Amino acid sequence: MKTYLKLNNDVLNRYSTTGQLELEKDREATRRYFLEYVNVRLRYFIDIEEKIRYLVDEGYYEKEFIDMYDMEFIKGLYKKAYDYHFRFPSFMSASKFYDSYAMKSRDGKEILEKYEDRIVIIALYLAQGDTELAERAVEAMMVAYQPATPTALNSGKKARGELVSCFKLSMDDSMNSIAENIGYCLELSRLGGGVGVNLTDLRPLGDPIKGIMNRASGVIPVAKLLENSFSYSNQLGQRNGSGVAYLNIFHGDIENFISSKKPNADDKIRLATLSTGVIIPSIFFELMKRDKDIVLFSPYDIFKEYGKRLSEISMTEMYYELLDNPNIRKIKRLNARKLYTEIKKAQFESGYPFEIFDDNVNEVHPLKSIGRVKMSNLCTEIFQVQHTSVITDQDEPNQYGLDVSCNLGSIDIHAASQVMDFERLIDTAMRLLTNVSLMTDIKNVPPVAKANQFMHSVGLGAMNLHGHLVTQGIMYGSKDSIDFIDCFMEAMNYYSLKSSMEIAKERGETFYRFEDSDYASGIYFDQYMDKEENELSPRLLKTLGNIPIITQKMWKILKQDVMQYGLYHSYRLAIPPTGSISYIRSCTASIAPCTERVEVRDYADSRTIYPMPHLTNENTHLYVEAYDVNPYDLIDLYAAAQKHVDQGISMTLYVTDNWTTERLAKIYIYAWMKGIKSVYYVRQRLQTLEECVACQV
Amino acid sequence: MSSLTYEAVNWNKPTSELAQVFWDQQWKQIWFPEEIAVSKDVKQWQSFEHQDTYKKVFAGLTLLDTVQTNIGMNHIAAYATDLQEKAVFTVFAAFEAIHAKSYSYIFTTLCTNTEIDELFAWVKKNEYLQYKANKIGDIYNNIEEGNSESLWKAMFASVMLESFLFYSGFFYPLYLGGQGFLRNSAEVISLILRDESIHGVAVGFFAQNIFKQFPKEKQDELKVWGYELLLDLYQNEMQYTDDVYAETGLSPEVKAYIRYNANKALMNVGFEAMFPEEEVNPIVMNGIRNEGSTYDFFSQKGSTYAKAKVAPITDETFHFNR
Repeated sequence: MKTYLKLNNDVLNRYSTTGQLELEKDREATRRYFLEYVNVRLRYFIDIEEKIRYLVDEGYYEKEFIDMYDMEFIKGLYKKAYDYHFRFPSFMSASKFYDSYAMKSRDGKEILEKYEDRIVIIALYLAQGDTELAERAVEAMMVAYQPATPTALNSGKKARGELVSCFKLSMDDSMNSIAENIGYCLELSRLGGGVGVNLTDLRPLGDPIKGIMNRASGVIPVAKLLENSFSYSNQLGQRNGSGVAYLNIFHGDIENFISSKKPNADDKIRLATLSTGVIIPSIFFELMKRDKDIVLFSPYDIFKEYGKRLSEISMTEMYYELLDNPNIRKIKRLNARKLYTEIKKAQFESGYPFEIFDDNVNEVHPLKSIGRVKMSNLCTEIFQVQHTSVITDQDEPNQYGLDVSCNLGSIDIHAASQVMDFERLIDTAMRLLTNVSLMTDIKNVPPVAKANQFMHSVGLGAMNLHGHLVTQGIMYGSKDSIDFIDCFMEAMNYYSLKSSMEIAKERGETFYRFEDSDYASGIYFDQYMDKEENELSPRLLKTLGNIPIITQKMWKILKQDVMQYGLYHSYRLAIPPTGSISYIRSCTASIAPCTERVEVRDYADSRTIYPMPHLTNENTHLYVEAYDVNPYDLIDLYAAAQKHVDQGISMTLYVTDNWTTERLAKIYIYAWMKGIKSVYYVRQRLQTLEECVACQV
Repeated sequence: MSSLTYEAVNWNKPTSELAQVFWDQQWKQIWFPEEIAVSKDVKQWQSFEHQDTYKKVFAGLTLLDTVQTNIGMNHIAAYATDLQEKAVFTVFAAFEAIHAKSYSYIFTTLCTNTEIDELFAWVKKNEYLQYKANKIGDIYNNIEEGNSESLWKAMFASVMLESFLFYSGFFYPLYLGGQGFLRNSAEVISLILRDESIHGVAVGFFAQNIFKQFPKEKQDELKVWGYELLLDLYQNEMQYTDDVYAETGLSPEVKAYIRYNANKALMNVGFEAMFPEEEVNPIVMNGIRNEGSTYDFFSQKGSTYAKAKVAPITDETFHFNR
C-alpha cells in the first residue's frame, strides 16, 4: 500500500467524529508522493539543452517549433518558469498532473517533464517563434492562465491528439447528411473530441419517406447510431468518446427523446452513454404559464412549406403561424406542464436532459444577422452560429456550411486579482487562444475546418470564483459575490474585446461578415452606454484587487475602436465547467460553488481526497456547499456573469432528493426568466439515512 | 377452508414509526448490477495476483446474501406483526436478492464457467462460511408464531449479519477500489453497502422497539445471549479472515475493520459497543461514506441518482417572491 494514498485519505480520519480536518496530512501526502513516486521516476538530464535534444531525438517532442527559437532563449525561458518556485498545493493537484499531463516515457516508467517544463513547452509551441509571446505565455500560465486540457496536454508532443476538443455539428434531414455526420463523429471522437449533434431537423417517427406515410424511424435510432459511434471511436482506447444530441421541444419525437435517458427505459431506446439536451423556445414557457397544450411538429412539413429547417426558424415567432397553416401537420397535442414535469422526472433520475433556452440565446446573439444559434455543445457553454451543410450524392460536390470547433482556456480569478497587469493577462490569453485556432485544421470535417478558418472563435472562461470569495470572507451567493462577478466578467468582456480589436488591427483582418454583426453597428455596446456608475463598497474593491473597474467612458472609446477596426474573433468568452484543469491548479471549478468542502474523488486512478483550496479548519463556514446554496442566489450570480459573456456559461443546478419535480421546474423557470442561456446537469445529493431518521425521531 | 379474518395493509395511517421512511429510502436508491460497467475491470483483473482471495470473498458474500434473502428477511417478514413493517421487510428481501445476483454478475464478467463452478463448490465445503450460515440460519428457523423473543433474536441475528459479518468481505473490494483497482466491482459493493446500512438501521430500530417491551430480567438475559452470539461469530470470523486473506497479508487490517463494524452492529440494536476503538484503514473508511462520491459523468454511473418525487406544476410555480 502506498503511504501517500493512505496519508491523503487520513485527511478525513476524524472528520465524521470531530469535524476537524487533518490538512497537514495532505501536505505530508504530497511530500511523500514526490519522494516515493515522482522523484524516483524523474529522468535526469545534465542541462536544458540535453533534455530538449533528447526529447526531440527520441521523438517525444516535435522538432519544428523548437527550431524556431534560439537555444539561449529557450534556456532563459526555463529559468523564468523555474524562478516562480512553483509547488503543488495539494496531493490532488500533484497526482493529477503527473498521472495525466506530464510527458512520460513510452513504457510509462520514466517521468520526462515537471510542471514548469510542460508550461514552457506549451508557451514555445503556441507562440510559434514569437519570443515576446512565449515569454508572456510563461508569465501568464505560471500565474493565472490555464489552457484547456487538450491544449495543455498535447502541445509540443509528437504523438498527440488535437489541441481543441469541442465540436458542434448540424445534421440535415437526409440519409447523405446522416451518414456524413456519423463519419464526422467517428473522426472527431478519434481525435478525442466531445461532439454535439443537432437532431432537430430530422423528420420524426412515422413521417413519410418519398411521400409514403409511416416510413421514417425518427431521431432515436439515429441517436443510438451516434452513441455507438462514440463508444467505438475513442482516443487510442484511453478515454471513451462522448457526445450529446439536441432536440427542439416542439419536435414530434420529443417524448421518446426525454425518456431515452431514464435508467428503466427499454434497452432498444435507452441511451446509456450519449448525453441529451432539449432546446426550449420562450413560447413553450409562455404556453406552460397559461396551462395550455403545445403542438408538436415535423421539420419535414416545415421545410416543405417554408424552405427552412426547424432549427432555422424562431419557434416563438412562428408558432401561431404553424398552428394556422393547414399544410403543417399537428403531430401531437400535449399539456405543456405535464411534458415539463416529465423532463423534470428524467432529470431527477438521470441528470439529463440539459436545457437550452433558445430565445435567451438568440435575442442577445451579436451575430444574429449572420444566422441563428441552433444548439450547444457537450458542456452547454458554446453558442455559435451554424449553417447546415448540404451533403449531396457522391457524384456532386457537397456544399459545406459552418459548424463549430472551439478552443478554450480559463483565467484563475484569485490569481488574476493579484496580477499587476490584468489587461496584459487577458491579451496574452486571447493571443494564445488565437494561435490554437490558427494551428488547428480538422481536414476530415470540412464544415468545422471552414468555420474555424472564417470565424476564429475562441472561448475564454474563468475558474476559482468560490476559492477567491473564501479568501475575501465573502459568502457564495451573497450580494457582494454577485457584484464581484458582475465587475469581473465585465472586465473580461472589455479586455477580450479590446484584444480582439487590436489583433484585427494588426492583422488587417476581421472575422467573416463582421460588418453584419451587432459589433459593427455598435448595437452590442448599448448595454454599456448608459450604465450607471455606482459607488463600490470597500469590501468589493478589496476583492477586485488589481482587476480594473470599467467605466462608461472606457466603453465609449472601445465602441468607436471596434466599429472602426473590427474584431478578429467572432466569439470570445465562454465559461466551461473546468474539471481536471482546476484540480491541477488547485482552483474551485468554474464559477460554481464547491460541491463538497473536501471532495472524495473517484478517478480512474484512485480515490483521492481533495480539500478545497484555501480551506482551513477556521473558514469551513465560508465554504458553503453547492447543495446548501440558495438556488435562486446561484442563478442570480450566473445571470450577472452572463450579461458580459457573448457565448454561455456551463451551469449545474444542485438539489437534494427531498425536492419535488415542481420545485425543480420552478428554478428552471426562474433561470429562464433571468436570461440564463442553458442549464447543464442537475446534480442530486441523496440524503443519508442518518439525516432522514434524525429529522423524524 | 379456514375462516380467518385477513386485514389489509393501510398505508394511509401510520401503524409503525418510520416504516414509511425506510420504505421510501430503500426505493429511492434502487439500482441494478447491469448499470455498472464491470467489464471495464477485466483488463486489470487479468493480471491480478490475488484473484483467488477476491473470488472467495465474493463467493462468501453471495452465500450470506442468499441466506438473508431466502430465510432471513422472508422469515422476519412472515412473523413480524405490523403490516407496514412486514411490507418493508419484503422489500428488503427483494434487494437482498438483487445483491446475491449482482455477485454472479461480477463472476460472469470476470471468471470462466469452470472457475465459477469451483467457487460455488468451495462455498459448500468451507467450514467457517458454513458455520456462520448455520448459526444465523438456525436462529431464523426458530422463530415461533406469537413469540416475540424468538422474533427479536432473529432480528438481532439479522443485524449481526448485515452490519457485521458482511464486512470481512466488503473490506477487500473497498480497499482495492480506493486505490484505483477493480473500481467498478467496488462500485457494486458500495451500492450494496448503501442498502445494507439501511437494513441494519431499520431492523435494529424495529428490534429495539420489541426489546423495550421485555421486562428487565428478560432484557438482561437477552443481552447475555446477544453478546455470546456475537463473540461466537467473532471467533469464527477471525478464522475465516485468516483462511481467506492469508495470501494478501491484510488479515490484521481486515480484523480491525470487523471489530469496528461489530461495534456498529451492536449500536444498531441499542447495545453498548464491545471492542475498544482502533484505527481502521482510511481508504476503506472513505469507501463507506454514504453521500456518494463525487459524480464523474464521463466514467461511470455513480451512486447518486434516484427516483423523482412528482408534484404538478401549478400557477404558483410561476410566482417568485424575489
